[in-house]
Amino acid sequence: MDRNKTVIEVIDGGPLKISGSICIVEKQGGKPEDKREVYLCRCGKSASKPYCDGSHNS
Amino acid sequence: MGDNRKITEKRNRSYRGREITVYWKPSACIHASSCYRELIEVFNPSRRPWVDMEGAPEERIIETVNLCPTEALTWKWNEEERNSDVDRAHTNHIKWRRPELYSQSGEDEDASSLTVRVLDEGPVMVEGSFSLICGGKSTIMKNTITSFCRCGQSKSQPYCDGEHRNIRFPEGETP
Repeated sequence: MDRNKTVIEVIDGGPLKISGSICIVEKQGGKPEDKREVYLCRCGKSASKPYCDGSHNS
Repeated sequence: MGDNRKITEKRNRSYRGREITVYWKPSACIHASSCYRELIEVFNPSRRPWVDMEGAPEERIIETVNLCPTEALTWKWNEEERNSDVDRAHTNHIKWRRPELYSQSGEDEDASSLTVRVLDEGPVMVEGSFSLICGGKSTIMKNTITSFCRCGQSKSQPYCDGEHRNIRFPEGETP
């Protein structure tokens, strides 16, 4: 598999997994950060938004 | 892709001006008439060819193309480098409306990083090229902007449909 490949996976009943070469801005007007993998909350329940904290299971 | 075009796509046209090219995709036209009401000098359905790139300054052509509510009319800069800087305000630039045309001209951008913007009380906007895995299917998305739902209320999951505006966006925004 291509090392540079960026993949977004919509996990059924779970978060949005983004892996690869990512530049993320967590808040509007915030600083861009480089990351290799993130899990973003899709249900709106996470206490550590924008990231998933597993709250969708509760 | 390439030669695998459908019959309707054979009617697609492009009109090259000095600095910009306008693309015409008749199958997408919903006859909103914004083009010829705004700029009949350029867009005249009773003339052949119906688009005259010399008919008005190209800034006016860009403005008018951006008014088209569908991908029937789109545009790009002829100088390819300029296209990467075009912002969302230009709604009908090819990279927003017809990414299949844009990816042909920017093939080398594949390895560049994906920009992920988390909008306050809104969706997450992803800009760039990526493979999307959803419901067991994998799709290659090239040079696109896609908004994914973060509030859980969208009816067109996993994408944002604006529904977050009708609810109180769930609290706990701070990372």
